[in-house]
Amino acid sequence: MLHPDWLLDPRLDSPRDELASCFPVAFQLARTVFSLIIINKAGGLIYQREFQAGLRKLSTNDYLVLAGTFHGVHAITRSITPKLPLASNTSPAVSSPGANTPTTGYSYPNPGTPASGLESLETEKFRLTCFQTLTGTKFLLFTDPTSGTVDTVMNKVYELYADYVMKNPFYQLEMPVRCEAFDRHLGAWLRGRT
Amino acid sequence: MTVYSFYIFDRHAECIYKRRWLPRPASLKSPGGPELGQTMRTGDDDAKLVFGTVFSLRNMVRKLGGEDDNFVSYTTSQYKLHYYETPTNIKFVMLTDIKSPSMRIALQQIYINLFVEYVVKNPLSPVEHPGGLGVNNELFEESLEQFVQTRVLA
Repeated sequence: MLHPDWLLDPRLDSPRDELASCFPVAFQLARTVFSLIIINKAGGLIYQREFQAGLRKLSTNDYLVLAGTFHGVHAITRSITPKLPLASNTSPAVSSPGANTPTTGYSYPNPGTPASGLESLETEKFRLTCFQTLTGTKFLLFTDPTSGTVDTVMNKVYELYADYVMKNPFYQLEMPVRCEAFDRHLGAWLRGRT
Repeated sequence: MTVYSFYIFDRHAECIYKRRWLPRPASLKSPGGPELGQTMRTGDDDAKLVFGTVFSLRNMVRKLGGEDDNFVSYTTSQYKLHYYETPTNIKFVMLTDIKSPSMRIALQQIYINLFVEYVVKNPLSPVEHPGGLGVNNELFEESLEQFVQTRVLA
């Protein structure tokens, strides 16, 4: 028999809170995701879902426009990467205006990593994290600006996409994602309940 | 922290000021030379691409976050772009390295302490800048140079 006091224990009032206390970090990260957008390699919107209110709702057409615009902007942000001329030790520090001839070589600010497009965008109300796969598909995650890194969430979303969309034999590549299992697992993971 | 470039756009999408800083050669630092290395005017294309980017992103952010939302900065694997827009739609854009902290306050200071003081309050400075006639003001350029320098060294 259960003691009545146990039933009144505030710590056990819902299974969800119990879950949250077991995995505080994962739960906190997952809590702040507003919405997810997936853009195919041609700039078409293939998935859009809202998990929490916080952003304004747009019409389907507006989301399509947004996906296309972002696709273009993403490419431009990569092309405006500052190019640093390779510092040659022989060039004089005090240069005449005529010395501004284009140098033959240049390097990027972080030579170790390839130039990428926009990876994270911050505004006053939300943060947008963009992850581009090797095949060109882009995952856009809209989260709370105060939350920390969303790498964990992004990796999990990608994993779910690989498992339930790419492995679905009926899914046509580059077409809108209509996979019930993907929806279900994504919702379960991001909302912290089944 | 390194500042790569700085742009000002007026409300007619005209680039009225641009400046690019190149890092000084690592081995050579002559005492008489300019501290930040030589400056160089970039082609017009860069400014147009930067404007297109911030314009599109601003509109996107306003659609999603509401009219009072504004985008602050974005980061790629190579650089970070900071953005500040005044109530009169003058846009200040700065490109820095990715480790730099938020430059929103700095851009605001450039607007209030330098742009308003030296450009707006200058009776000889044109209000509109048609046809790519930019801000041509020694006092502004010098103090901007100084401002960025103190930021870089800080």
